[in-house]
Amino acid sequence: MQVFIAQVINGLSLGSIYVLLVTGFNLLLLVAMIIHFSYPQVVVFSMYIAWVVLRLTGDNLFLGILAGVASSIALNLVSAPLFQKVMAKRGEVDINSTMVLSMGIGMIITDVLSHSFNQGLPIAFPESLASEAPIVRVGLITIVSGQVWSLAVGIVAVAGFFLLLYRTRPGRAFRAIAEDPNGARLVGIPILRTGLYSYALSGVLGGIIAVLLAMLLGSASPGLGEQVAHKVLAVSIIAGLGNLAGGLVVGLLLGVLEAIVQGYVSGSWSNAIAFVIMLVVILVRPKGLFGTKL
Amino acid sequence: MPLPLYYFLSITAVNILLSWALYLPYRVGQLHFITVANMAISGYTAAWLVMSLNVPFAWALLAGFALGGIVGWLVSLFIGNAPTFAVVIVGFTFIFITRTVIENLKAVGGAMGIFGLPNIGGSPGAHRWTIMAILAGLLLLVGFLLHRFDHSRLGRAASAVFMDKELAASLGVDIRGLGRLLQTVSCTVAGGAGVLYGFIYKSFHLDFFTFALVGIAMTVIFVGGYATQWGTVVLAPILYGVPLLFPPSIQEWRIVIYGALLVLVLVLKPEGFITRRFVFSIESFLSGVRKKRNIL
Repeated sequence: MQVFIAQVINGLSLGSIYVLLVTGFNLLLLVAMIIHFSYPQVVVFSMYIAWVVLRLTGDNLFLGILAGVASSIALNLVSAPLFQKVMAKRGEVDINSTMVLSMGIGMIITDVLSHSFNQGLPIAFPESLASEAPIVRVGLITIVSGQVWSLAVGIVAVAGFFLLLYRTRPGRAFRAIAEDPNGARLVGIPILRTGLYSYALSGVLGGIIAVLLAMLLGSASPGLGEQVAHKVLAVSIIAGLGNLAGGLVVGLLLGVLEAIVQGYVSGSWSNAIAFVIMLVVILVRPKGLFGTKL
Repeated sequence: MPLPLYYFLSITAVNILLSWALYLPYRVGQLHFITVANMAISGYTAAWLVMSLNVPFAWALLAGFALGGIVGWLVSLFIGNAPTFAVVIVGFTFIFITRTVIENLKAVGGAMGIFGLPNIGGSPGAHRWTIMAILAGLLLLVGFLLHRFDHSRLGRAASAVFMDKELAASLGVDIRGLGRLLQTVSCTVAGGAGVLYGFIYKSFHLDFFTFALVGIAMTVIFVGGYATQWGTVVLAPILYGVPLLFPPSIQEWRIVIYGALLVLVLVLKPEGFITRRFVFSIESFLSGVRKKRNIL
């Protein structure tokens, strides 16, 4: 029972990161109308930038976190014109070509990380950011600061995001574009500018996720982005593409499921089991459990 | 045949086959990455048949084709008509699961892989010529079938589905059936290509079937031109061969170069270099020459 409780706590903290990732992914999908498959690769890139700055500044946490968030925003904004250009070239929104473009960007990021940082070896974050010392220990149940932070920040960030979406003027503009882009244009909402805001906002979320992942995992490798990218798209499809509330539920569920499987099944089989369950759900309901919002 | 030339020609041929396997379902707008997983499943199975059960290579190759087709058909029952992003994620999930299962299976060498596959035809020289002959025959056969498909009613139906699914459905196109057919054929081709891929090196290792392989195939298709089969034929040798001419320090960056090429082409020339219009103009030029010859 203790193993089960410990793994549920693990799963909730991991799940809250999936929720943040899916929220950022869905924001870009709904407002900018792109499938940014390599969004998690952008997050991992930000982790690497934070790691570099931490090393250069003698583990200055403030500067490290700032660099992580800034690089995520910058990378998202730099890629925005590329996505816009692809959509303009096609004459109408072509969501599939934005996904291929994003995969191309992901290929570049992953390979740059595996050649230019730490000789391609995994990086480890300093104790000051990713402390493994337990805050609470009851039998087999241990809670470390990374878990508490990722769960707390995850809840605050998602609550803040939903508040922004449903209680503010820019949020209404986001939702209007997601509902009906042409109608939104007719009522005077600046589509391009609002789209750029969504890139910036998902960049902010990406930076926060990078810091939380660094705290929770304590390390990163170039291949991390590919694995997470795959899970994020899977969560998004299982929830229903663009369904924010569905993403919240499925993200948390996947985190808990993954952690429980890891608690009882040894080695790399645990990952495979989570993937098999995901695969079965996608095969049976390719349009999602909660309905697509596209 | 010199070894470098053998590797260049044979790997280029496998790349063309893999790209054609991806090209086929993309005719209805589906990026079917399960092909890479199928290469691994069929390849490892064939190697196991040859090494453990002493099955002749020809039967193992046929088993590879059949297994690829069966897996493709089974999956297509669920995603024959699924949206592109769902097909993509099914493909990636299959790659992950396949890699994990192979990694943990001692019968196929686990993470170490399978080494020391026998020479087909006895000597190393005969092995190379046999592999080259099979690949050449396969390229001609698959290329011919693709050409016929592109010029058939089915090919036109696929184009209609790619452009507008609803319109195609209202014209009576069986979208699900067409998707299933293309996915099954694609996986069959990929299964055979997977067997040959490993037998070129006389070994199988998980590093052969990574996401980099997906990236290479995607670059070949989209940079070459996704609307015809010829873009792949032109681009595969260039993309694989040209980096070999550069020093190793530049070769290391080839995935970055592929990614940059993919991004640039999607932004500047989304239909790729070999477009359907370009192929039509070549075909009409050639048919004009043929007509003139007939008159003379």
